[in-house]
Amino acid sequence: MREGRRGTVPDAGAAAAAGPAAGRAVGRRGVRRERGPGAGFDGLRAAGRAARAEWTKLRTVPGTWWLLLAVAAVTAAVGAGAVSGLSTAHCPPAGCREDVVRTSLSGVWAGQAAVAVFASLAVTAEYGTGTIRTTLTAVPARLRVLAAKAAVVGAAVLVAGGAGAWGALLAGRALVPVGFAPYDLGAGPVLRAGFGSALYLALVALLALGVGTALRDTAGSVAACLAVLYASPLVAGMLSDPEWVERLQRYGPASAGLAVQSTVGTDGLPIGPWAGLGVLAAWAAAALAAGGAVLRSRDA
Amino acid sequence: MAASEATIEVRDLRKHFGPVAAVDGLSFTVVPGQVTGFVGPNGAGKSTTMRIVLGLDAPDAGSALIGGLPYGALRRPLQHVGAALDAAAVHPGRRGRDHLLWLAHSHGLPAGRVDELLEQVGLAGAGRRRAGGYSLGMRQRLGIAAALLGDPPVLLFDEPVNGLDPEGIRWIRGFLRRLAAQGRAVLVSSHLMSELEDTADHLVVIGRGRLVADTPVAALLAAASDSRVALQTGARERAMTVLSAAGATVAATGRESLTVAGLPAERVAELLGAEAVPFSGLAAHRASLEEAYMELTRGEAEFAAVPEGEGPR
Amino acid sequence: MTAAGSAGAGAGTGADAGAGGAGVAVRTEGGGVAPYRSQLPPARDGFLRLLHAEFTKLRSVGRWLLTLLAGAVVTVLVSLVSAGGSDAVTSGDGGGGGGSGAAAARVADSFRFVHRPLAGDGSITARVTDLTTGADTDAPWAKAGVIVKAGTEPGSPYVALMRTYEHGVRLQHGFEHDVAGGAVAGDAPVWLRLTREGDRLTGYVSVDEGTPANGGTPASEGVAGGGEGVAGGGGERWREVGSVSVAGLPETARAGLFVAAPETVRQERSFGSLDIGTGPSEATGVFDHVRLAGGSGNGGGDGGDAAWRDEAVGPASGPAAANGPAGGAERSGGTFTVTGSGDIGPLPPAADLTWMSLAGAQVGLIAFAALGVLFITAEYRRGMIRTTFTAAPRRGRVLVAKGAVLAAVAFAAGLAAAVVSFLVGQRALRSGGHRPPQFPEVSLTDGAVLRAVVGTGLLLALVALFALALGALLRHTAAAVTIVVVLFVLPLVLGGGLPLGAVEWLFRVTPVAGFGVQSTTPRYEQVETVCVPEDGCMPQGPWAGLGVLAVWAAVALALAVWRLRRRDA
Repeated sequence: MREGRRGTVPDAGAAAAAGPAAGRAVGRRGVRRERGPGAGFDGLRAAGRAARAEWTKLRTVPGTWWLLLAVAAVTAAVGAGAVSGLSTAHCPPAGCREDVVRTSLSGVWAGQAAVAVFASLAVTAEYGTGTIRTTLTAVPARLRVLAAKAAVVGAAVLVAGGAGAWGALLAGRALVPVGFAPYDLGAGPVLRAGFGSALYLALVALLALGVGTALRDTAGSVAACLAVLYASPLVAGMLSDPEWVERLQRYGPASAGLAVQSTVGTDGLPIGPWAGLGVLAAWAAAALAAGGAVLRSRDA
Repeated sequence: MAASEATIEVRDLRKHFGPVAAVDGLSFTVVPGQVTGFVGPNGAGKSTTMRIVLGLDAPDAGSALIGGLPYGALRRPLQHVGAALDAAAVHPGRRGRDHLLWLAHSHGLPAGRVDELLEQVGLAGAGRRRAGGYSLGMRQRLGIAAALLGDPPVLLFDEPVNGLDPEGIRWIRGFLRRLAAQGRAVLVSSHLMSELEDTADHLVVIGRGRLVADTPVAALLAAASDSRVALQTGARERAMTVLSAAGATVAATGRESLTVAGLPAERVAELLGAEAVPFSGLAAHRASLEEAYMELTRGEAEFAAVPEGEGPR
Repeated sequence: MTAAGSAGAGAGTGADAGAGGAGVAVRTEGGGVAPYRSQLPPARDGFLRLLHAEFTKLRSVGRWLLTLLAGAVVTVLVSLVSAGGSDAVTSGDGGGGGGSGAAAARVADSFRFVHRPLAGDGSITARVTDLTTGADTDAPWAKAGVIVKAGTEPGSPYVALMRTYEHGVRLQHGFEHDVAGGAVAGDAPVWLRLTREGDRLTGYVSVDEGTPANGGTPASEGVAGGGEGVAGGGGERWREVGSVSVAGLPETARAGLFVAAPETVRQERSFGSLDIGTGPSEATGVFDHVRLAGGSGNGGGDGGDAAWRDEAVGPASGPAAANGPAGGAERSGGTFTVTGSGDIGPLPPAADLTWMSLAGAQVGLIAFAALGVLFITAEYRRGMIRTTFTAAPRRGRVLVAKGAVLAAVAFAAGLAAAVVSFLVGQRALRSGGHRPPQFPEVSLTDGAVLRAVVGTGLLLALVALFALALGALLRHTAAAVTIVVVLFVLPLVLGGGLPLGAVEWLFRVTPVAGFGVQSTTPRYEQVETVCVPEDGCMPQGPWAGLGVLAVWAAVALALAVWRLRRRDA
C-alpha cells in the first residue's frame, strides 16, 4: 500500500523542495538552515507556527479528545480498582508494607496503551489518508514537523496523563482499605510519583510518535509499541534468574520508567526513580531519532 | 422469471443519514439490452442507491429489486448481479488473481473462470502481481473482472471511468456497449454527463435524492438541440442579412461562425446558395449531453459553488 | 436522431461517429434484445463455499502469513528464553518432603506417631479433646487423629482419620485422597474410629458431647461390623465418613495416634516482587479414651505403657527441628498429649515445567491478535467488505465463516508452536538443572501435558477469534489490537504487583483465564501451597479457564454478528 502511494505520487519530495521555502535551500536529503543573525528568531517563529498548525490539526479530529479522555479515565479507574482490591490477608504480622501510592498509580500500565494509540495515530493517520503530503508541502522542513508534533502530542498527553494520575491518587486515598496508611498528597515521594507518572506517559507518547514516524503504519506501530512496553515485564515475570530479571527491569522502558512511582523502599529498586525515567527518555529519544531519520531520507 | 431476471426495479426508495435525505422517494427501472446512465451531481444519492440495490445499506422505505427479488434473497448473487463499486477496494498485499479467486470460491466457480476473465479485461499478464502495485486503470479493470465473474445478466458500475486515461475510457465504453448488446441490463453511474455521451442509451438523472429525468438519450438531446444550425462562413455579415430576412434568428458565435435558429439546415443551404453567399460548413447544431444535463440539474447540485466566474462543476 | 444523422459532421468527430454507429445498431434493436442468459454452469452456494473463499483470502495476503509465522516463532523463542533463563536452584522451594528416592520425593510424610502393632482386622478408637497450634503457627490444616500405617518408613501406605484445625474431620489415604467428614465445633471433643477388615478401612466419627458410659469408650463390637450408623454405648452415635480400600498394608500394621502441622506459608506481595516465607509450625493434640481393638496381642486400649511407642516419622521439622527431635508425646493415665510437625500428603512439584516451556504464548498472542483484527478491519479500510457482502449477502454467515477459517489456521499454527516450544523448552529446562527426582520427567504423551499443549493451540485460536470479533465491532485496527492486547497482557503484567485477591479475580474473569489450560500442576485441596497465577497456579481448572475465554470470544462474536446485520456496510 505504501508502494502504491509512492507509485501514484512520484516525487512528493521534489514538491516539498519546490515549496514555499523561498531563499532557503531545502533538500529532500537534508535540511539546511540559515545561520545568519536573526535566523534563530525566525526559526523560533517558524517552529511556533508549525506547532500551532499541528495543534489545530490534532484538536480538530474527534478521536483526539476520545483518546485523551481514555488515557485519563483508564489510568484513574484501573488505579482505583487496584487500591480497592488491596487486602491485609497476606500481610506479615509486622504489618503491610504495600506501596499504596504505587498501587493507586498502577492504572498507568493500562493508560499507556491508549497513549501509544494516540501518539501513533498522530502521525500514521496522516500517512493513511495522504495528509502527510499536504503537511510537508506546507512545512517543508521535515524535522520541524516532527518536532512540532512531538511538542504538541507530548504536551497533550502530559496534561491528560497528569489528570489521570492525580485522579487516581485522589481516588486511591479515598478508597484505601483499613490496615493501610493513607498517604499525604503533598509529600515529596507522592508528588514525585504523581508528576512522574504524567511525565512517564508523555515520554511513552514521544516513543510511540517516533515508532509511528518510522513505521508509517498504524497497526504496525501500535503493535510494536505495545510489544516494547509490555514484553519486558512479561518476560521478566517468566525468568527466575535474578540477574536477568534485574537487567530487564533496569533497561526495559516500562519497568524502568515506572520506578518513578515508588514511594517505599526506593533504595532496593533495580533503578532509581529519576534514573528510570531517564532510561525511558533515552528510549523515546532513540525512537524519535529513528523516526526523524526515516522522515528525512524516505520519500513521503 | 426469464423476462424479469435482468432488470433492476427501484420503487419509492428512501434513505436518510441523520437529518439529510440521501435518497428521497426514488423510482426507476433498468431494463436489459441497453446501457442506462445514472447521473447526478456529487452527493445526489447515486452511490447510496447502488448500495441499497446491492443490499449493503438498508432502505428506510421502498424497495430495490433485482429480477423481482431483493438482493438478500439471491442464493448465488454473483450470478444475478455483478457490481464494481470502488476500484480501491482491493487489499494491496493480495495478488490480483487471488482477489478474483476468493470471489470465485465463494460461488464454487472454477479457477479457470478467473483466468478467462483476466484475459478478457486485459490483465492476464498482471494477475500474479500484488494489487498494491496496480495503476488506477488496472484496478478498474480488476473491479470489472470481479463484476463479470458470475456472468450475471445485471451489471452495476459506479463511476467506472474515474481516473482512466483516454485509451482506458474508450476501452470501457466499448466494453459496456458489448455487454448491453448481449442483452444485459447495465447501470453506469457518473457525475459527468460527457462521460456517458456515447455510451448510454437511457438516462436516469437524479438530484438531491429525487428523480429529475428518466428518458432515452436521443429524446433528451433532441429536446436540448432545439433544431439550431451551426454555420461556418467567411461572409458573416452577408449571411446574417440573408438569413434574418428569411425570418431566422441569427447569432454570431465567432469570427466565422454563426448559429441559426428557426430554419432547418436544408433551407439555410438553399437560401445561401441562392444569394451566392460562400460558406465552408453547415451542420445541425448538436447540443452536448453536458448542456442538456446542466439544463436539467440546474439548482440541484448539493454543494453549488458561489458563482465566481465559473459555474458549479 | 435528426442531429446525429446530419451530413456535416466535422472531421474531428470521426472516431465518435464510428463508436456511435455501433451504438445505433443496438439502439434500433433496443427493446428487442433478448435478456442475457449466462452460459456458465450454475454456481454452487453454501457454507463450504464461504469457508473456501475466506481461506483463499487469508492465504493470499503474504503479510498475514508472515504475521502468523511471527506469532509462532515468538512463542517458541520466548518459551525458550523462559525455560533457559530459569535454573533449578532458584526456582526450587527446597521443600523436599521426606526421605530419598523418587517415590518419597513427591510426598510429604512426616508427623508424630504414637503407635502399636495391629495384627489382622481390628480398630482404633480415640477421642480428640483438644487441638491447639503453637505460637507463630498459622496452620489451618494442622491435624490430629488416628492412623493405620504399614510401618514407620515415610511413604508407606496408610489410612488416617483426623480432625483438622479449620477444615473439620477428614479421611485421607494414599497421600492424594481426601474425604471431607463434616465440620466440627471449635473446641468440642470428637470421637474418631478407624476399622480394618482386610484391605478395607472404614472411618467413623461421632461428635456427641455427653460423657460416654461404658468406661468412656463406645462399644467396639457394634462398630466393627461396619454398619453405617452404629449406636455405641452412652448415647454415642457413629457416622461413617468413608470406606477405602488400600493395597500394600501388611498383615500386621501399625495403628495409633498422630499429630502433624504443615509449615505455614506466608506470602507478601509488593509491587514487582513476591516474598514467600515458609515458617515452622507445630500442633498439639490431646486424646483420651484410646482403644485398640483386635489382634494387637494386647487386647485393650489401656494396655501397658510399654506397648505404645512414640516416634517422629520422616525428617525432623518444626520449631525444634534444629535443636533435636521434633515434638513429643506424654501420657498421663488415659490421656495422651502429642505434639508434632510436618504433614502427610502430596507434595506438588516445585515448578510447573510444562507451564514454563509454554510461556511464550503470552507474548506470541500479540501477533495472533493482530492477525485476527486485520482479517476483518483490512476489508473495511479498503471498502472490500462491500465486495464480500455482495458476493455473500448473509453477513452473519460470512463472519462465522471468517471465524472458522481463522480459528482453524490459528489453531494449526498455535499447536505447532506449542509442540516445538514444549520440546525445546524441556531440553533447556533439563540442561538448566530441572532433573528428577525433584522435577519429574514430563512427556508429550502425559494426559495433562497433552492437554496443555493442545490447549495452547486452542488458546491462540480463541485469541484470534476474539480479536476478529472485536475488529468487526470496532472497525478500527489500532483500537481493536490495543484492547485485545491490554485485556490479555495487562493481567499478566500486573499479576506481579497487584494484591493477590485482585489478581485471582482478574485471572478468573478476564480472557487471560484461558491460560489456565496450560497449567499442569495437580491441585490438592488439603495442601496449602504457594499459589500465584503467574507461576501457573490458576484459580480455576484448566478447561474452566479456557471456557471463560471461549465465552468472551462467543459473546464478542455474537455482538459482532448482531451489529453487522444492523449496520450499513
